[in-house]
Amino acid sequence: MRLQSKLTLFSAASKIIIFLLLVLVLPPLIHKVALHNTDERLLQKKEQVLRIVEEQGIGNFIAEGDNSAYGSYNLLKEEFISLEQVPAGQEVNSIENSLRKVEDEVVDYRVLSLTFQIDDQTYLLEIGRSIATIRESIDILQQYALIFLVVVVVLTAFVDLAFNKILLRPLSLIIRRLQRIGHPGTFQPKQLHTSTKDFIYLNDTINSMMGQVQAAFLKEKEFIGNVSHELLTPISILQNRMENLLADPETPEHLLVKLVDNQRTLHRLKSIVQALLLISRIENEQYLKNEAIDIKTLAEEVAEEIRDRAEAREVELSVAIADDWTLPQGNESLLFTMLFNVVNNAIKYNRPGGKVMIEGRVMDKAYELCIIDTGVGIAAEQLPHIFSRFKRLHAPDGESHGLGLPIVQTIAQFHRIKLTVDSVPGAGTTFCFRFPGA
Amino acid sequence: MHVLIVEDEVSLAKELVHFLSQEHYKCDWAANGRDASEKIAVNLYDFILLDLGLPDYNGLTLLQEARQLEHEPAILILTARGSLEERIEGLDLGADDYLPKPFSLLELQARMQAVLRRKFKVKSSVLAFHGLELDSSTRRVSYQDTEINLTKKEYDLLHYLLLHKNRILTRLQLTEHIWGNILEDDYDSNYIDVHIKNLRKKLASYVSGEWLETVRGVGYRLIQ
Repeated sequence: MRLQSKLTLFSAASKIIIFLLLVLVLPPLIHKVALHNTDERLLQKKEQVLRIVEEQGIGNFIAEGDNSAYGSYNLLKEEFISLEQVPAGQEVNSIENSLRKVEDEVVDYRVLSLTFQIDDQTYLLEIGRSIATIRESIDILQQYALIFLVVVVVLTAFVDLAFNKILLRPLSLIIRRLQRIGHPGTFQPKQLHTSTKDFIYLNDTINSMMGQVQAAFLKEKEFIGNVSHELLTPISILQNRMENLLADPETPEHLLVKLVDNQRTLHRLKSIVQALLLISRIENEQYLKNEAIDIKTLAEEVAEEIRDRAEAREVELSVAIADDWTLPQGNESLLFTMLFNVVNNAIKYNRPGGKVMIEGRVMDKAYELCIIDTGVGIAAEQLPHIFSRFKRLHAPDGESHGLGLPIVQTIAQFHRIKLTVDSVPGAGTTFCFRFPGA
Repeated sequence: MHVLIVEDEVSLAKELVHFLSQEHYKCDWAANGRDASEKIAVNLYDFILLDLGLPDYNGLTLLQEARQLEHEPAILILTARGSLEERIEGLDLGADDYLPKPFSLLELQARMQAVLRRKFKVKSSVLAFHGLELDSSTRRVSYQDTEINLTKKEYDLLHYLLLHKNRILTRLQLTEHIWGNILEDDYDSNYIDVHIKNLRKKLASYVSGEWLETVRGVGYRLIQ
């Protein structure tokens, strides 16, 4: 998952969690606050009433005599105040919910009750506020709080998203540039314009590392060129000198055979140098992959080129391409060399009357080209080493330099072709090339 | 045929001069770019063999100089660096062919002849031997009016033997000519013997007598 998606998801999730938490916690909280406010208000009113009673005298509210009381409530019965005389010794000072009957209607009130004494008489003051009124205000409060919450959550989520996007833009830029690089040689260092130091550091580090890789590649290319020149020039001199000696009528006949032997040895040296150079050049990415290659045509060309060798060894060579397929980008001459070497081995390490089959088909979303032979096979303990350089498995003739299969593997890797080998000693070997993206 | 060999490697130049002189070419040798530049300005060469890796001169610059000459000499690039860019650039700049080192002298001669034929539009491309005719423009071999059916490899082999008639060609030289462009694990001379056997069989009913001599342990020679 991309960093930006992760950050966005995280911020959205955290907001939703906070939102849910608030929805759960808010009602009791608001309830408490509202109750607290009501109580405060009741206490304030109590102070006011007491002050008025003190100023005007209790006689203004309650006449002498028993069962006399003062009561006041507003029209909608939201509040009431009552004052009455109670027997001495009673002492109350509380705020609690209680039911009161007002004009034949029972209403739930929050009631402050307080007893106080004036002139040895005890009076009870009660101030009430209807619970319904409190609840109503709680509901309104809750509604506003919820709307406010939703707006805040949505708004911050969008702001987060936009900010993440802007913040991470340099990173997306770096990633996009890295994705475009097929080969270190095509990398071009670029400056990054951002105020985030981390990204600048990252970009600078990538630039400098890629610079080092490029320098190493270039150095290696130069080295390959020099080695090529320095090794091939003396080989060239020797080869041409031997050819001139062979052509010289004065060269005695018994020396001609020796010269031919020398020529073979020199040819072996030349092949080793050329094989190593080929491998190095491929690994140094000096070959282009700019040709569309039709696998069927390629297989048939290889078969055509090699058919006479199969005939010479009495091996039956067949090509069966079930599905036709084109590799969009490849190097034809390299792929030819790759296939030729495998088919050549399949013929060479076969027996008279044996078979070599080149088969191609689409399998599991990839194209698979297999070279199946009925040859001598490869022992299980040798299989892991067949692609190691200079390992000669069969080489009864001693002319092989053991670089054929390493070349095959290098070319396959260069084209991102997966190469697998199966072999049963005495029964045959199967080489399969799995081409990417069919 | 006047040939200039531009090659800084003395021993290699010596072998080239020796071989081409035997083949009746008139050879000049320039060991560096300055010398070569002077020589092509003064002499009218038919052919320039150009090593691109010169100590004092960019080989491609020299190639451009030679390209501007009015009499248009044939140019063949010889190089041991063999990078792909160099090869493409050389041919783009107007070289007639490109031969990577190490090469066989016989291959060099065959290429030179092919270039000359192409360049000077030689009409006659028919080689005759023992009553047979080989036409290299149509790649056909015929006896009187009968066409002899040869495989591609048999034809290449016969053509090469004929180009270098009366000379011993080793199996390796023949192998390199036929399969030289394919880098393979080892060299197997048996395949050449099989082709020669088939070739002999196919031509047996048309040619009386020995036309191809087997030199034991060495190779083959086409006699004419």
